[in-house]
Amino acid sequence: MKKAVKKFDARPKLNGSWKFLDDYSYENMIFGQLFYSTCHHGIIKNIIFPKNFDLNEFTIISAKNILGKNIVPEPVCDQPFMAEKEVMHFGQIILGIAHSDKKTLRDFVENIKVKYEKLSAIIDPKECLDNERNHFGKEILINHSNNEKNTGNYHKNIYYTQHQEQAYLEPQGAIAIYDETKKTMFVRVTAQCPFFVKSGVETIMGNAINEAIIETSEGIGGAFGGKEDFPNLLAGITSLLAYKSGKPVKIVLTRNDDIQITTKRHPSRIEIETWTNPLTQKIEKCNIDYRLDAGAFQTLSPVVMARGVLHVGGSYAIPNIKIRGRLFKSNTPSNGAFRGFGVPQALAAMEAHIDQIAIDLKIDPYLFRKVNLFKIGDEFPTTQKITENNLIDCLERVIKNSNYLSKKKEFAEWNKDNSNKKGIGISVGFHGGGFTGNGEKVLKSELKIIIEKNANVKIFVANTDMGQGAHTTLSQMFYETINHPKEKCRVQLPNTSKTPNSGPTVASRTIYIIGNLLQKLAREIQKKLNFENLESYVATHQNEFPREFRKVYIPDKSIVFDENNYVGMAYKDYSWAACVNEIYFHADTYKLEIIKSWNVFDIGKVVNQKIAEGQAEGGILQALAYANSEFFYKKKFGRVRNFTDYTLPTTLDVPEIDVEFIHTDNKIAKGLGEIPMDFPAPAVRNAFLNATGIFVDEYPLTPENIFNIIRSKNEN
Amino acid sequence: MKIKFILNKNEVEIDANPMTRLIDVLREHFQLLGTKEGCGEGECGACTILLNDKPVASCIANLIHAENGVILTAEGIAKTKIGTLLIDCFDETNAVQCGFCFPGFLVSSYHYLKTDGEPNLEKIKIALSGNICRCTGYQKIFDSVLMACEKLDLS
Repeated sequence: MKKAVKKFDARPKLNGSWKFLDDYSYENMIFGQLFYSTCHHGIIKNIIFPKNFDLNEFTIISAKNILGKNIVPEPVCDQPFMAEKEVMHFGQIILGIAHSDKKTLRDFVENIKVKYEKLSAIIDPKECLDNERNHFGKEILINHSNNEKNTGNYHKNIYYTQHQEQAYLEPQGAIAIYDETKKTMFVRVTAQCPFFVKSGVETIMGNAINEAIIETSEGIGGAFGGKEDFPNLLAGITSLLAYKSGKPVKIVLTRNDDIQITTKRHPSRIEIETWTNPLTQKIEKCNIDYRLDAGAFQTLSPVVMARGVLHVGGSYAIPNIKIRGRLFKSNTPSNGAFRGFGVPQALAAMEAHIDQIAIDLKIDPYLFRKVNLFKIGDEFPTTQKITENNLIDCLERVIKNSNYLSKKKEFAEWNKDNSNKKGIGISVGFHGGGFTGNGEKVLKSELKIIIEKNANVKIFVANTDMGQGAHTTLSQMFYETINHPKEKCRVQLPNTSKTPNSGPTVASRTIYIIGNLLQKLAREIQKKLNFENLESYVATHQNEFPREFRKVYIPDKSIVFDENNYVGMAYKDYSWAACVNEIYFHADTYKLEIIKSWNVFDIGKVVNQKIAEGQAEGGILQALAYANSEFFYKKKFGRVRNFTDYTLPTTLDVPEIDVEFIHTDNKIAKGLGEIPMDFPAPAVRNAFLNATGIFVDEYPLTPENIFNIIRSKNEN
Repeated sequence: MKIKFILNKNEVEIDANPMTRLIDVLREHFQLLGTKEGCGEGECGACTILLNDKPVASCIANLIHAENGVILTAEGIAKTKIGTLLIDCFDETNAVQCGFCFPGFLVSSYHYLKTDGEPNLEKIKIALSGNICRCTGYQKIFDSVLMACEKLDLS
């Protein structure tokens, strides 16, 4: 195997010289802080500022000071930047405040008091999702069914998942600088989608500015979806403070603020009823009710739900399937994007349900999957045809790598004589690359490159490198295509005034859509200029350079998706994956320990083996922790407050993670960003079922949750 | 209050409130921006420094703790022989993702190589257990530190 190309930013990140948002300073810069509601739902009666402070020293803004519109631009425009009279959730922003001294600012903000008239509030996801009255209104229906009769064996379960915190290590932050002469707002931000931020700032500022120019910080300290839409809101408020104070303003959230007010993964309630044929062991029919707790506002939740319902049927050929998707309302901050985007919930339910059916039918879950997995020619619930068999290959490979069959026998024997239990479980999954349905058609992503006189190639894309190595991989895709030297090719820091809009850094689309587009452009340039070696071409044609090239992404004409009826090609290409997890259950402490996780993927062409492995390993660990430790909702306080009470996996919690990418004939790189988070969690739950015979319908499987399940089982 | 200490091998003196958080002293007074604030509660380890040869979360230590002491930050470690070896190994495995936690990992790994250095996965896991990384799943971090231990053994 050839050596993986190293990341261009690794060394400066290690020696501390790579700049993250909080590492930037500007002349006369002052500091900002957000003041937010601590009431879950209520009417603001009055706001009392602390005495002993000179109010003239502070810049204070509320909804009243907004110059444009008080609505964060989102797929559903229902969330205000700042609350006006009514607060809908804990963490809703009421004021933006700035001062030149951080400590004075903190003391001041900590002592602001608000009197609320409290109104009824729902903060428990289960309470929200169990009650039909909390439904927001709209729904998605997928109906791929021509048999209304219910025959065969009947299986029904309801599964619940909880919030999950992205926990990017670098908190959210923005710095805004107003240029009075040009009437522009420059914002440096740690964010995934600079053009979303631009739209947020321009919305809150209205006609007060001509243009918002957004540039990311050099380093974006993790995002995982958490920096998809919240930065718009944060950058908007920071901009308004900069405008009002006339000085550059920096807001960096403390972890306590960040964790309590930003978006999380949607909690879910997924009800599945299935009819199987006991003779063929095939699934005949399936009805699914997919519900997400959107929080207080819908924002981008409909898009999450769309992806969720398109994946919740799992990777199975089901001749009759009906899926209903709905959003529910609660009094928590609006839930948002998080790696997987509705799919981890979908597969947490479906893959658990598949094991349940296998037990009902007294067949091994591996064999049951083999019988029912998609084969070429089968159809998704949207009628899209399956064109590749790679998931079965992934499953066979992971079964072999993990020694699943012999371990299963061995553990069954071992468990007979031990109160602690060993278990092994399977899950499979898939993820559609790029935007759902017609999303990529609407986006018309554009990128540009400039070839300079010295044959340096500058690549301009709006897609950010938030740690996933996108800028290393993108530039690699360009220079490898035309055999240009690595060091002469560099992706530029995204800046909305210099970079065309190549779309947001979401939906596993950066390599899949933008990388493949960049490769096409590289081939086109080579053909157009007719060179074998770009460097010598530039040397002999100096007067042609610097020269700019652009390319717009136009999706394949075969992609037709009916968004009203959910029929057609929802995604052009799918990545596939299968997982086996081995667990050890400590009967005395109720701890579910994950011993090892084997994972096999089909992501098409692997561009950079080490970067791809790193992406997979990180996503898998997030998924494993989603299954057995990360738990957000606390009855007494509503939310956790820091990493102290949000149990992220440490070096001592991580099992050995085995990753393999199967070799396929596919020439293109498919999406990888999200799939590692999608599918490994249910294999933890299924391994626990294998170990103990105990059915769990609620994630995560924390010791407390398992203790309660066993206790209630014993009571019954 | 005037407080003296040795910072990355240089003698320094600062006149400040002795209860100032060490991370603020390093970042704001000395412009050592490699020390990162991830949680402010000593939980994530992104702000790890060596204070008198021990790894310390600088967000929950105060300036007074450094009085007449010796501090080494990621910037200082990066210039040492072992620090360079570690950076080479982290680079080799493509372990670094977002990088926000990595200066902290560099400090804790350096401390392990200095005080033990055995290429033993279980020991390495314990040595790095105060540092949280959300991107990598830790596998390539372990590979890097193991590799550094082995290379150190040979040199």
